[in-house]
Amino acid sequence: MKMKVRGFKLLSLLFPLVAGYGQELTGSDIIEKVDALMNQEASYARSEMTILTSSGEERTFIYDSWSKNYGEKNLIRYIAPARVKDQATLMLNQADDIWMFFPRTNRVRKLASHAKKQKMEGSDFSYEDMGSGDTFIKDFIANRLDDKKTDGADCYQVELKRKPDADISYSKLKLLVRKDNFVPILIQYYDDSDENKLIKELTQSNIEAIQGIPTALHMDMKNTIDNTHTTMELEKIQYNPDLDDAMFTERGLKK
Amino acid sequence: MKRLITGLLVVTSSLLAQDPEFFGYLESQLMGAQIDGKWIQLQSNKFRLDLKANVADQLTVAANYNWTTYHGKTQWQIPDYLPETVRAQIPTELESYLVLPFEDTQVLDNAFIKWMLPRCDLTLGKQQLSFGAGYAWNPTDLLNNKDLLDPTYEQPGHNAVRLDLPLGQRINATVVYAPEDTWENSTKMVNIKLGLARFDVSVMSIERIWNTHDYTRLNDNLLSPDFLLLSEKRQMVGGSAVGELLGWGVWAEAGFNTLETRDDLTEWLIGTDHTFDNQTYVMVEYYENSQGKSDSKAYTLNDWMRYLAAEQRALSRNQCYALVQHPLGDLMQLGLSAIYSLSDGSVAFLPTFNWTPLENLEILAYLNLYQGEKTAVFNSNMGNGGLVRVRAYF
Repeated sequence: MKMKVRGFKLLSLLFPLVAGYGQELTGSDIIEKVDALMNQEASYARSEMTILTSSGEERTFIYDSWSKNYGEKNLIRYIAPARVKDQATLMLNQADDIWMFFPRTNRVRKLASHAKKQKMEGSDFSYEDMGSGDTFIKDFIANRLDDKKTDGADCYQVELKRKPDADISYSKLKLLVRKDNFVPILIQYYDDSDENKLIKELTQSNIEAIQGIPTALHMDMKNTIDNTHTTMELEKIQYNPDLDDAMFTERGLKK
Repeated sequence: MKRLITGLLVVTSSLLAQDPEFFGYLESQLMGAQIDGKWIQLQSNKFRLDLKANVADQLTVAANYNWTTYHGKTQWQIPDYLPETVRAQIPTELESYLVLPFEDTQVLDNAFIKWMLPRCDLTLGKQQLSFGAGYAWNPTDLLNNKDLLDPTYEQPGHNAVRLDLPLGQRINATVVYAPEDTWENSTKMVNIKLGLARFDVSVMSIERIWNTHDYTRLNDNLLSPDFLLLSEKRQMVGGSAVGELLGWGVWAEAGFNTLETRDDLTEWLIGTDHTFDNQTYVMVEYYENSQGKSDSKAYTLNDWMRYLAAEQRALSRNQCYALVQHPLGDLMQLGLSAIYSLSDGSVAFLPTFNWTPLENLEILAYLNLYQGEKTAVFNSNMGNGGLVRVRAYF
């Protein structure tokens, strides 16, 4: 009996590979692979985020972030600049529940989910962009478009249309996903009420294998309406570290 | 003295060995107001120096020292801001005592040790203690009183022992003991906070000595005469809830207070907020205080003075705070707050402007414009004016 279970497990592991070679991937197949790549079981990163304003000024933030349960739990803690040092944000349930910690007042404030639409420290990333985990699968319906070659790389092109009941700020997303590693090198975000109006564009580059996982170390989010953009460099990244659940609580937020 | 210096040297050198972090800010502020047709202004400079060190794996030491200097109009004659009817209640011999002085201060604001044990956190020393879900008012917070014109400004540290005890993934108990000269006079507080679906719910109980003054009488101290201090025990049970309904943030907070000598006091509030897709943020909060009065003509000298001295939270019974904010690009934010007294029909408007011109530089400017009858809480006697605050962090 035990052998049968093992055999079944092996088959189920092999099946996606077999299916991948035997037939064309659908939009959903591609997005599932992207989701699995982007949302590892747990991760830690130190990032440098630089905001380039429409007037050409730069603002740089450095923060640590931890993620668990495939992106369902996220904790962000600022290191610099001094103005926001030790401020922290806890996002649970794919950023549906957000708490912020302000060290100077030692206060934790729970924010309603509308706050996830707010810009993170004035950047072109919203809290929703940072902590929404499996949103591509949960909130959108995937549709594969014609493949495309970009910068010499063969890419899948996938359109994601918002599900009718989804609480997400974008009506549509368009992704260019590299065929060789499933890293989305371009994500286009369309307006909440007009799915032909492009509002933001994320490009991911400098892809390296970290612990065997293809990882974009450079991200650039461009706001096509305000003409601002925000870059993010991953200075450190560690996949699947041993993170205690207690980190993702109010007590962990205040540490 | 030698021992003290040696002790300080030992503490300093051991802290330096732990690679302490020094940070803080310098804040320069100018406020002005039009009083009786004359423009008066007060300038202040505040230097805050923070120190934080992880002296052991689970042990943190943190402190901040504040130096503040005041310049310009540093003695404000309180009767100038009071309605005519209230001014008439001031005994002539007490007029000279009704002065609000702004004196230079140097204060160890917070200084605490936080010990993160496996099952609880213990914080000892002067620390931030603030509770409640409200934005402009906090009925369950008997330790602090927010400035309605600037409700998010940091509060002073309180000397206390605090124990935070996680009882589950979303259940925490907090026990606070703030010692005074006797156990009876000390502040005792228990707070249980739990997560219920999309809500955070807190229930709490606190006992504290409430100090107010009788501003119509002086004490018997001939060497240092001052207004008569009235102290009484205040016991409060209350709670708060924060969550979300139909896409809007909602919160409520209430405190039911039993007082030794005066009528029981009930304070409660409800609030809601929302961020629209265009990043506009709106917030409305309604607050009721059973000690407040419904008719502005009933406000007494004691009511006004206790309100201005932050000894009581409100003059009028029902108030509403509304706020609209919208970002102007990435570095600026425009806002408008309105504090409306439903009891007397007066309102304070506060157009605000926030700007971060440099990475560690913040500029805040607001106007305070009062609109109300001469006896009302937001009457023009309060002085239409404004404030500019420049804060540089390091």
